[in-house]
Amino acid sequence: MVAGLQVGTATTASAQDCQVSIGAVLSITGSMAAIGSAIGDAGQLAVDQFNEAGGVNGCQIRYVLRDDQGSPNVGVDAAKTLVEIENVPVVLGAIQSGVSLPVLTSVTVPAKVTQISCCSSAPSFTDLAASGGTDGYWFRTLPTDRPQAVVMANIAREKGYKNIAVIYVNSDYGVSLSRQFKAATEALGGQVASMTAYNQEQASYRAEVNSALQGEPDALFLIAFPADGATAAREWISFGGTQNMLLSNALRADEFVDAVGAQYLSNAVGIDNAQVEGPSVDAFNTAWSAKFGSAPNGPGLHTMYDAAAVALLAMEQGGEANGTVVRDSIRLITGGEGEVVNPGVEGFKRAKELIAQGKPVRYVGATGPITFDANGDVTGPYLIWGVKDDALTTLDTWDSARVDAAIAEIDG
Amino acid sequence: MTGFAAYLVFFLIIALTYSIVVMGLNLQWGFTGLFNAGVVGFFAVGAYGTAVLIGPERAGAIGGFGLPFPIGVLGGAALAALAALIVGLATLRLREEYLAIATFGIAISIQLIALNFEALTGGAMGLISLPRPMLDVFSSPAHYNLFYLGVVAILALVVYLALERAVTSPWGRVLKAVREDETAARSLGKNPVLIRLQSFVLGCTLIGFAGGLYVGFIGYVSPLDFLPILTFQIWAMLIVGGSGNNRGAIAGAIGVWGLWTMSGLLISQVLPVQFQSQGGAIQVILIGLLIVLTLLFRPRGLIGERETVSKHAGPR
Repeated sequence: MVAGLQVGTATTASAQDCQVSIGAVLSITGSMAAIGSAIGDAGQLAVDQFNEAGGVNGCQIRYVLRDDQGSPNVGVDAAKTLVEIENVPVVLGAIQSGVSLPVLTSVTVPAKVTQISCCSSAPSFTDLAASGGTDGYWFRTLPTDRPQAVVMANIAREKGYKNIAVIYVNSDYGVSLSRQFKAATEALGGQVASMTAYNQEQASYRAEVNSALQGEPDALFLIAFPADGATAAREWISFGGTQNMLLSNALRADEFVDAVGAQYLSNAVGIDNAQVEGPSVDAFNTAWSAKFGSAPNGPGLHTMYDAAAVALLAMEQGGEANGTVVRDSIRLITGGEGEVVNPGVEGFKRAKELIAQGKPVRYVGATGPITFDANGDVTGPYLIWGVKDDALTTLDTWDSARVDAAIAEIDG
Repeated sequence: MTGFAAYLVFFLIIALTYSIVVMGLNLQWGFTGLFNAGVVGFFAVGAYGTAVLIGPERAGAIGGFGLPFPIGVLGGAALAALAALIVGLATLRLREEYLAIATFGIAISIQLIALNFEALTGGAMGLISLPRPMLDVFSSPAHYNLFYLGVVAILALVVYLALERAVTSPWGRVLKAVREDETAARSLGKNPVLIRLQSFVLGCTLIGFAGGLYVGFIGYVSPLDFLPILTFQIWAMLIVGGSGNNRGAIAGAIGVWGLWTMSGLLISQVLPVQFQSQGGAIQVILIGLLIVLTLLFRPRGLIGERETVSKHAGPR
């Protein structure tokens, strides 16, 4: 508490009479509504815990959540009100890349406000950041598709697949993952026989499967969501396609295995983001269960919590609620060699003490250790899964170091 | 300039851009009775047309011409006109609900083309790093937004004045004649199909033009920008503002877009923290409720159509 007061004096303010806001733009209604409001709650949890730990720079934090309705025009407007009227130094979000990107280019970067997304995976952000279009104000706490593609290309090499057909869902996720996979496979000396896109929610994918069967592939990489993926996989097998299948992360679902039939998947291997284990993850899971009475199962919860926690710790580290200061402080409180702090009230209290003493802090979050690269991207651990005795099973895990090594091998 | 003023400038840029779309639709529905349910498709053609013409070069892609913005936005409008001509020739013999279904389907097709014709549109990733016109001339984003608002406001005014002139001209009276009674118009020697084609193409050109202005301001375009909800928003603006009146179209654009966005701002201000996650749903209910109430109490819209036969005859 003493340490907290010391920080307070530095900004000549106390928790009673000052308040800082941080903003979030998420899809509470619209096409992503099913997952959006729980993601909003994850951000709220981080803010509540930080307030309980004494607030940021001695001020209470107000969490302002705005709905983008799944539309870029509404999301851009909401972000603009957060920046201009609420004076937020940080905007968290959005969920869909097609909303996050216009918010970034037309609102946050011009206003020098830091944007941290829990959920946007498109590679366009990496391209934009690499070309200087984000001025460093862009971060995201979920791994991009590239590490996944690189790991998958390594699996294909281990299995000895030489000529791989790719069928992928025609969305930013599918397009990006398939392309990264092709590049990685070719860099590792393999060959991609064909790349076939499919549009979602069709009754049949016979045409796509037939075109992917051309060129006699010895394996199939299927990048899909469970329902459409099962349709495509069934047709692939019934047309005589190989059962040497590689499956993307979204297919790790019982629904998919049941619909295809486990006996056809004994030779298939899939990949998924690994749920990291350890005290930092348990701290989040316990806090979530205590507050909401259910396990934190669902996309974006862990990454959203970390996005909010990283933003608040960076504000504490930088000493003021200013977008540029937050941007410059984020890498100081992640990565690095400082004392490890975990999610939760205790963790945030400890972090505030250390920062007040001028000591380095390293936040290890709900998603495990976080290290942002120059473009604001993170890598993460992966697990390799298969189907055994009619059930999904984990075959192998790749920790972050192994993933980084695989990426380094390709980048030369 | 910060706070609400800065936000208001931003809001008006988008609202006045939409007002041009609404005026285009007003020409089609308000004056000619053409039920265009594919507004967003032509908005998309204008937006992508502009983006391809002004955008930087990309590896393995069509476009990236890097042309100046005015040429890009006019090119986008011209492409929208071309698309409207093709669609119009194919569908304008259809009446009312048939035309609505046909145009709705065409808008969906255009969105799917944007999603799939990757070499041209960037596919699901969209087109990034589109130059915003004259951005480096201004010292701060606030000044730039003020400049862009000036440009959009002048263009909206020009469109308004030109349309006012057009609809009070003899040509405008023929539009209304076709709307009210096509057989009677034909008996007077007018060609309703040709008149409808002219109105449809001109309206879509304005819609595409606004699409280009939107892209110039946002600096990014993706298929997510062109979901059918936008068509609904534009229609709500026209009906609430007052179909058949260009001032009503502008008022509707500002009013409905204000309702759509500022209701969220209001809710986030007054709602207790623990209900933040429900704010989005409350907002959508509020939007629907206010639109319904407007229509109940002002069935002809905020500013309805003036009942004139011609400007010489004066009001009845």
